[in-house]
Amino acid sequence: MAHPAAHSPTMTAAPSAGLPPWARYGIIFGFVSAASIALWAPIGVSGTYPRMIGAILGELTPEYAAANPYLVRMGSVLKPETFLLIGLLIGGFISSRFGRARLAARRVEMVHAGEKTDFARYRDAFLGGFLIIVGARIAGGCTSGHIISGMTQLSVSAFIFAAGVFGSGIATAKLLQKGGK
Amino acid sequence: MDRMTALFVGIAMGALIQRVQASNPGMIARNLRLENLSVIKFMATTIAVGAMLVYVMSLVMPMNFDVKPTYVVGVLVGGLVFGVGFALSGYCPGTCVVGAGEGRRDAVFAFLGGVVGALAFTLAFTTVIAPLNALADYGKITLADVLGLPAVAVALALGVVFLAVVKWLPTNPGRPALGEES
Repeated sequence: MAHPAAHSPTMTAAPSAGLPPWARYGIIFGFVSAASIALWAPIGVSGTYPRMIGAILGELTPEYAAANPYLVRMGSVLKPETFLLIGLLIGGFISSRFGRARLAARRVEMVHAGEKTDFARYRDAFLGGFLIIVGARIAGGCTSGHIISGMTQLSVSAFIFAAGVFGSGIATAKLLQKGGK
Repeated sequence: MDRMTALFVGIAMGALIQRVQASNPGMIARNLRLENLSVIKFMATTIAVGAMLVYVMSLVMPMNFDVKPTYVVGVLVGGLVFGVGFALSGYCPGTCVVGAGEGRRDAVFAFLGGVVGALAFTLAFTTVIAPLNALADYGKITLADVLGLPAVAVALALGVVFLAVVKWLPTNPGRPALGEES
Protein backbone atom coordinates (compact mmCIF):
# COMPACT_ATOMS: atom_id res chain seq x y z
CA MET A 1 0.00 0.00 0.00
CA ALA A 2 3.00 2.35 0.23
CA HIS A 3 3.39 4.76 -2.64
CA PRO A 4 7.11 5.34 -2.66
CA ALA A 5 9.31 8.00 -4.13
CA ALA A 6 6.80 9.94 -6.27
CA HIS A 7 6.92 13.02 -4.06
CA SER A 8 8.95 12.02 -1.05
CA PRO A 9 8.98 14.88 1.45
CA THR A 10 12.23 13.74 3.04
CA MET A 11 14.98 13.87 0.49
CA THR A 12 17.60 13.86 3.23
CA ALA A 13 16.18 10.95 5.20
CA ALA A 14 17.96 7.65 5.68
CA PRO A 15 18.48 5.80 2.38
CA SER A 16 15.89 3.08 2.94
CA ALA A 17 13.34 5.32 4.65
CA GLY A 18 10.96 6.14 1.77
CA LEU A 19 8.01 8.25 2.87
CA PRO A 20 7.77 9.20 6.55
CA PRO A 21 4.86 7.55 8.42
CA TRP A 22 2.60 10.63 8.41
CA ALA A 23 2.85 10.84 4.61
CA ARG A 24 2.45 7.11 4.01
CA TYR A 25 -0.53 6.78 6.34
CA GLY A 26 -1.98 10.10 5.15
CA ILE A 27 -2.00 8.90 1.53
CA ILE A 28 -3.68 5.64 2.53
CA PHE A 29 -6.26 7.53 4.64
CA GLY A 30 -6.94 9.79 1.63
CA PHE A 31 -7.83 6.69 -0.40
CA VAL A 32 -9.99 5.35 2.46
CA SER A 33 -11.83 8.65 2.83
CA ALA A 34 -12.43 8.87 -0.95
CA ALA A 35 -13.61 5.26 -1.04
CA SER A 36 -16.03 6.04 1.79
CA ILE A 37 -17.54 8.94 -0.20
CA ALA A 38 -17.74 6.79 -3.34
CA LEU A 39 -19.33 3.77 -1.66
CA TRP A 40 -21.32 5.18 1.26
CA ALA A 41 -20.91 8.70 2.69
CA PRO A 42 -18.20 10.99 4.04
CA ILE A 43 -16.69 9.76 7.31
CA GLY A 44 -17.99 11.40 10.48
CA VAL A 45 -17.97 10.44 14.12
CA SER A 46 -19.48 12.96 16.52
CA GLY A 47 -23.14 12.57 15.47
CA THR A 48 -23.12 9.06 16.90
CA TYR A 49 -22.85 10.43 20.45
CA PRO A 50 -26.29 12.12 20.47
CA ARG A 51 -27.70 9.05 18.69
CA MET A 52 -26.52 6.98 21.65
CA ILE A 53 -28.23 9.50 23.96
CA GLY A 54 -31.34 9.16 21.82
CA ALA A 55 -31.29 5.39 22.24
CA ILE A 56 -30.89 5.69 26.02
CA LEU A 57 -33.59 8.36 26.43
CA GLY A 58 -35.81 6.38 24.09
CA GLU A 59 -35.74 3.59 26.68
CA LEU A 60 -36.03 5.80 29.78
CA THR A 61 -38.45 8.52 28.64
CA PRO A 62 -39.85 7.60 25.23
CA GLU A 63 -42.19 10.64 25.15
CA TYR A 64 -39.35 13.11 25.68
CA ALA A 65 -37.10 11.40 23.11
CA ALA A 66 -39.86 11.43 20.51
CA ALA A 67 -40.53 15.13 21.15
CA ASN A 68 -36.92 16.39 21.15
CA PRO A 69 -36.35 17.89 17.69
CA TYR A 70 -32.60 17.26 17.77
CA LEU A 71 -32.91 13.57 18.60
CA VAL A 72 -35.57 13.18 15.94
CA ARG A 73 -33.32 14.85 13.38
CA MET A 74 -30.26 12.75 14.25
CA GLY A 75 -32.17 9.50 13.88
CA SER A 76 -31.52 5.95 15.01
CA VAL A 77 -28.37 4.64 16.64
CA LEU A 78 -28.54 1.78 14.13
CA LYS A 79 -27.37 4.13 11.38
CA PRO A 80 -24.11 3.07 9.64
CA GLU A 81 -22.12 5.79 11.49
CA THR A 82 -22.38 3.76 14.69
CA PHE A 83 -20.69 0.85 12.92
CA LEU A 84 -17.88 3.22 11.95
CA LEU A 85 -17.31 3.83 15.66
CA ILE A 86 -17.23 0.10 16.35
CA GLY A 87 -14.69 -0.17 13.54
CA LEU A 88 -12.51 2.49 15.19
CA LEU A 89 -12.47 0.46 18.39
CA ILE A 90 -11.51 -2.71 16.50
CA GLY A 91 -8.94 -0.90 14.33
CA GLY A 92 -7.24 0.63 17.37
CA PHE A 93 -7.13 -2.74 19.09
CA ILE A 94 -5.74 -4.65 16.10
CA SER A 95 -3.22 -1.99 15.12
CA SER A 96 -1.79 -1.67 18.62
CA ARG A 97 -1.24 -5.41 18.96
CA PHE A 98 -0.36 -6.78 15.53
CA GLY A 99 2.00 -5.98 12.68
CA ARG A 100 5.59 -4.96 12.22
CA ALA A 101 5.12 -1.26 13.08
CA ARG A 102 2.87 -1.83 16.09
CA LEU A 103 3.31 0.43 19.07
CA ALA A 104 1.54 -0.64 22.24
CA ALA A 105 -0.07 2.17 24.20
CA ARG A 106 0.58 2.88 27.84
CA ARG A 107 -2.54 2.72 29.97
CA VAL A 108 -2.15 6.26 31.25
CA GLU A 109 0.22 8.88 29.99
CA MET A 110 0.36 12.39 31.42
CA VAL A 111 -0.33 15.04 28.83
CA HIS A 112 -0.01 18.41 30.55
CA ALA A 113 2.43 19.87 33.05
CA GLY A 114 -0.30 20.09 35.71
CA GLU A 115 -1.27 16.43 35.60
CA LYS A 116 0.53 14.87 38.56
CA THR A 117 -1.81 11.96 39.20
CA ASP A 118 -3.84 9.48 37.18
CA PHE A 119 -6.94 11.17 38.58
CA ALA A 120 -5.88 14.53 37.06
CA ARG A 121 -5.45 12.86 33.66
CA TYR A 122 -8.88 11.19 33.87
CA ARG A 123 -10.45 14.49 34.95
CA ASP A 124 -8.89 16.41 32.05
CA ALA A 125 -9.85 13.65 29.61
CA PHE A 126 -13.46 13.70 30.86
CA LEU A 127 -13.83 17.50 30.84
CA GLY A 128 -12.14 17.74 27.45
CA GLY A 129 -14.33 14.92 26.14
CA PHE A 130 -17.39 16.84 27.29
CA LEU A 131 -16.23 20.00 25.48
CA ILE A 132 -15.30 18.30 22.19
CA ILE A 133 -18.75 16.80 21.82
CA VAL A 134 -20.57 19.99 22.82
CA GLY A 135 -18.36 21.97 20.39
CA ALA A 136 -18.68 19.41 17.62
CA ARG A 137 -22.47 19.25 17.90
CA ILE A 138 -22.79 23.06 17.90
CA ALA A 139 -20.67 23.17 14.74
CA GLY A 140 -22.30 20.10 13.19
CA GLY A 141 -19.19 17.92 13.00
CA CYS A 142 -15.79 17.09 14.46
CA THR A 143 -12.26 16.45 13.24
CA SER A 144 -13.39 13.70 10.90
CA GLY A 145 -16.71 15.06 9.66
CA HIS A 146 -15.86 18.76 9.54
CA ILE A 147 -12.10 18.91 8.98
CA ILE A 148 -11.16 15.71 7.08
CA SER A 149 -14.40 15.11 5.14
CA GLY A 150 -15.30 18.81 5.02
CA MET A 151 -12.04 20.04 3.52
CA THR A 152 -11.94 17.00 1.22
CA GLN A 153 -15.30 18.19 -0.17
CA LEU A 154 -14.05 21.83 -0.20
CA SER A 155 -16.76 22.85 2.26
CA VAL A 156 -16.41 26.45 3.48
CA SER A 157 -17.59 25.43 6.96
CA ALA A 158 -14.56 23.12 7.30
CA PHE A 159 -12.13 26.01 7.08
CA ILE A 160 -14.06 28.10 9.62
CA PHE A 161 -14.28 25.15 12.03
CA ALA A 162 -10.56 24.34 11.64
CA ALA A 163 -9.63 27.97 12.30
CA GLY A 164 -11.61 27.86 15.54
CA VAL A 165 -10.21 24.47 16.62
CA PHE A 166 -6.57 25.26 16.00
CA GLY A 167 -6.91 28.84 17.27
CA SER A 168 -8.26 27.87 20.68
CA GLY A 169 -6.50 24.49 20.72
CA ILE A 170 -3.02 25.93 20.26
CA ALA A 171 -3.71 28.71 22.78
CA THR A 172 -5.05 26.24 25.37
CA ALA A 173 -2.19 23.76 24.89
CA LYS A 174 0.40 26.53 25.33
CA LEU A 175 -1.38 27.91 28.41
CA LEU A 176 -1.61 24.46 30.02
CA GLN A 177 2.10 23.95 29.46
CA LYS A 178 3.02 27.36 30.88
CA GLY A 179 0.70 27.51 33.84
CA GLY A 180 0.59 23.85 34.81
CA LYS A 181 -2.92 25.25 35.44
CA MET B 1 -24.42 -2.92 3.08
CA ASP B 2 -23.68 0.62 4.23
CA ARG B 3 -23.16 -0.73 7.72
CA MET B 4 -20.48 -3.14 6.52
CA THR B 5 -18.80 -0.37 4.50
CA ALA B 6 -18.84 1.91 7.55
CA LEU B 7 -17.44 -0.87 9.73
CA PHE B 8 -14.52 -1.55 7.39
CA VAL B 9 -13.84 2.16 6.86
CA GLY B 10 -13.80 2.49 10.66
CA ILE B 11 -11.36 -0.40 11.09
CA ALA B 12 -8.98 1.08 8.50
CA MET B 13 -9.34 4.57 9.95
CA GLY B 14 -8.78 3.31 13.49
CA ALA B 15 -5.63 1.43 12.49
CA LEU B 16 -4.23 4.45 10.63
CA ILE B 17 -5.01 6.80 13.53
CA GLN B 18 -3.29 4.40 15.91
CA ARG B 19 -0.20 4.00 13.71
CA VAL B 20 0.26 7.74 13.28
CA GLN B 21 -0.22 8.16 17.06
CA ALA B 22 -3.18 10.51 16.68
CA SER B 23 -4.87 8.46 19.43
CA ASN B 24 -1.99 9.31 21.78
CA PRO B 25 -3.13 12.39 23.76
CA GLY B 26 0.49 13.36 24.45
CA MET B 27 1.14 13.45 20.71
CA ILE B 28 -1.95 15.64 20.17
CA ALA B 29 -0.69 18.03 22.88
CA ARG B 30 2.75 18.19 21.20
CA ASN B 31 1.06 18.98 17.89
CA LEU B 32 -1.06 21.73 19.44
CA ARG B 33 2.04 23.18 21.15
CA LEU B 34 3.61 23.12 17.65
CA GLU B 35 6.54 21.00 18.86
CA ASN B 36 5.71 18.10 16.56
CA LEU B 37 3.53 18.55 13.47
CA SER B 38 3.21 14.92 12.36
CA VAL B 39 -0.53 14.56 13.05
CA ILE B 40 -1.33 17.90 11.42
CA LYS B 41 0.73 16.87 8.38
CA PHE B 42 -1.02 13.49 8.32
CA MET B 43 -4.42 15.23 8.25
CA ALA B 44 -3.36 17.67 5.53
CA THR B 45 -1.99 14.81 3.39
CA THR B 46 -5.25 12.88 3.82
CA ILE B 47 -7.28 15.92 2.77
CA ALA B 48 -5.05 16.65 -0.24
CA VAL B 49 -5.20 13.09 -1.56
CA GLY B 50 -8.90 12.69 -0.74
CA ALA B 51 -9.96 15.99 -2.35
CA MET B 52 -8.10 15.30 -5.59
CA LEU B 53 -9.47 11.75 -5.73
CA VAL B 54 -13.12 12.49 -5.00
CA TYR B 55 -13.45 15.37 -7.44
CA VAL B 56 -11.61 13.55 -10.25
CA MET B 57 -13.78 10.48 -9.55
CA SER B 58 -16.88 12.70 -9.58
CA LEU B 59 -16.25 13.37 -13.28
CA VAL B 60 -16.86 9.73 -14.15
CA MET B 61 -19.11 8.37 -11.40
CA PRO B 62 -21.72 9.54 -8.88
CA MET B 63 -20.28 10.40 -5.46
CA ASN B 64 -22.11 10.56 -2.14
CA PHE B 65 -21.08 14.09 -1.25
CA ASP B 66 -22.59 15.56 1.90
CA VAL B 67 -21.41 19.13 2.46
CA LYS B 68 -22.13 20.56 5.90
CA PRO B 69 -23.92 23.92 6.08
CA THR B 70 -21.86 27.03 6.79
CA TYR B 71 -23.68 28.74 9.67
CA VAL B 72 -20.75 31.00 10.47
CA VAL B 73 -21.41 31.82 14.15
CA GLY B 74 -22.25 28.29 15.29
CA VAL B 75 -19.43 26.68 13.31
CA LEU B 76 -16.87 29.12 14.70
CA VAL B 77 -18.15 28.98 18.30
CA GLY B 78 -18.31 25.19 18.08
CA GLY B 79 -14.75 25.09 16.75
CA LEU B 80 -13.49 27.30 19.58
CA VAL B 81 -15.17 25.14 22.23
CA PHE B 82 -13.90 21.99 20.51
CA GLY B 83 -10.32 23.32 20.45
CA VAL B 84 -10.27 23.86 24.23
CA GLY B 85 -11.55 20.32 24.82
CA PHE B 86 -9.16 18.90 22.21
CA ALA B 87 -6.15 20.45 23.98
CA LEU B 88 -7.38 19.56 27.48
CA SER B 89 -8.20 15.91 26.76
CA GLY B 90 -5.80 15.24 23.90
CA TYR B 91 -8.61 13.42 22.15
CA CYS B 92 -11.27 14.04 19.54
CA PRO B 93 -14.56 12.11 19.28
CA GLY B 94 -12.99 9.41 17.06
CA THR B 95 -9.51 9.14 18.54
CA CYS B 96 -10.83 8.45 22.05
CA VAL B 97 -12.59 5.39 20.65
CA VAL B 98 -9.36 4.28 18.95
CA GLY B 99 -7.47 4.98 22.19
CA ALA B 100 -9.96 2.87 24.13
CA GLY B 101 -9.31 0.05 21.64
CA GLU B 102 -5.60 0.44 22.30
CA GLY B 103 -6.20 0.08 26.03
CA ARG B 104 -5.81 3.70 27.12
CA ARG B 105 -7.82 4.27 30.30
CA ASP B 106 -8.05 8.05 29.93
CA ALA B 107 -9.59 7.51 26.48
CA VAL B 108 -12.56 5.83 28.15
CA PHE B 109 -13.00 8.91 30.36
CA ALA B 110 -12.87 11.16 27.31
CA PHE B 111 -15.54 9.00 25.65
CA LEU B 112 -17.76 9.15 28.75
CA GLY B 113 -17.27 12.92 28.90
CA GLY B 114 -18.45 13.01 25.31
CA VAL B 115 -21.58 11.01 26.12
CA VAL B 116 -22.43 13.44 28.94
CA GLY B 117 -21.65 16.34 26.58
CA ALA B 118 -24.08 14.90 24.04
CA LEU B 119 -26.77 14.74 26.74
CA ALA B 120 -26.13 18.35 27.77
CA PHE B 121 -26.22 19.44 24.13
CA THR B 122 -29.45 17.58 23.45
CA LEU B 123 -31.15 19.18 26.47
CA ALA B 124 -29.97 22.68 25.47
CA PHE B 125 -30.64 22.33 21.75
CA THR B 126 -34.02 23.96 21.28
CA THR B 127 -33.43 26.84 23.69
CA VAL B 128 -29.81 27.78 23.04
CA ILE B 129 -28.25 26.05 20.07
CA ALA B 130 -30.94 26.21 17.39
CA PRO B 131 -31.22 30.05 17.56
CA LEU B 132 -27.41 30.36 17.54
CA ASN B 133 -27.12 28.21 14.46
CA ALA B 134 -29.71 30.25 12.58
CA LEU B 135 -27.29 33.19 12.54
CA ALA B 136 -25.35 33.91 9.33
CA ASP B 137 -26.34 30.61 7.70
CA TYR B 138 -25.01 30.45 4.15
CA GLY B 139 -26.14 26.86 3.57
CA LYS B 140 -24.12 24.07 2.00
CA ILE B 141 -21.47 26.09 0.18
CA THR B 142 -18.05 25.00 -1.07
CA LEU B 143 -14.91 26.92 -2.02
CA ALA B 144 -15.76 26.19 -5.65
CA ASP B 145 -19.13 27.97 -5.22
CA VAL B 146 -17.45 30.96 -3.60
CA LEU B 147 -14.72 31.23 -6.24
CA GLY B 148 -17.04 30.43 -9.15
CA LEU B 149 -14.59 27.82 -10.47
CA PRO B 150 -15.01 24.14 -11.38
CA ALA B 151 -14.77 22.00 -8.23
CA VAL B 152 -12.19 19.64 -9.74
CA ALA B 153 -9.85 22.56 -10.47
CA VAL B 154 -10.20 23.90 -6.92
CA ALA B 155 -9.65 20.41 -5.48
CA LEU B 156 -6.48 19.86 -7.52
CA ALA B 157 -5.16 23.30 -6.53
CA LEU B 158 -5.95 22.70 -2.86
CA GLY B 159 -4.27 19.29 -3.02
CA VAL B 160 -1.10 20.71 -4.57
CA VAL B 161 -0.95 23.57 -2.05
CA PHE B 162 -1.50 21.26 0.95
CA LEU B 163 1.13 18.77 -0.27
CA ALA B 164 3.63 21.59 -0.89
CA VAL B 165 3.03 23.00 2.59
CA VAL B 166 3.44 19.63 4.37
CA LYS B 167 6.60 18.91 2.39
CA TRP B 168 7.99 22.31 3.34
CA LEU B 169 6.98 22.27 7.04
CA PRO B 170 9.39 20.59 9.46
CA THR B 171 7.90 17.61 11.33
CA ASN B 172 9.72 18.35 14.59
CA PRO B 173 10.10 22.13 14.92
CA GLY B 174 10.67 21.67 18.66
CA ARG B 175 13.47 19.15 18.10
CA PRO B 176 15.39 20.17 14.98
CA ALA B 177 17.79 18.29 12.72
CA LEU B 178 18.44 14.84 14.07
CA GLY B 179 18.93 13.55 10.53
CA GLU B 180 15.67 11.63 10.22
CA GLU B 181 12.58 13.76 10.25
CA SER B 182 9.37 11.90 10.87
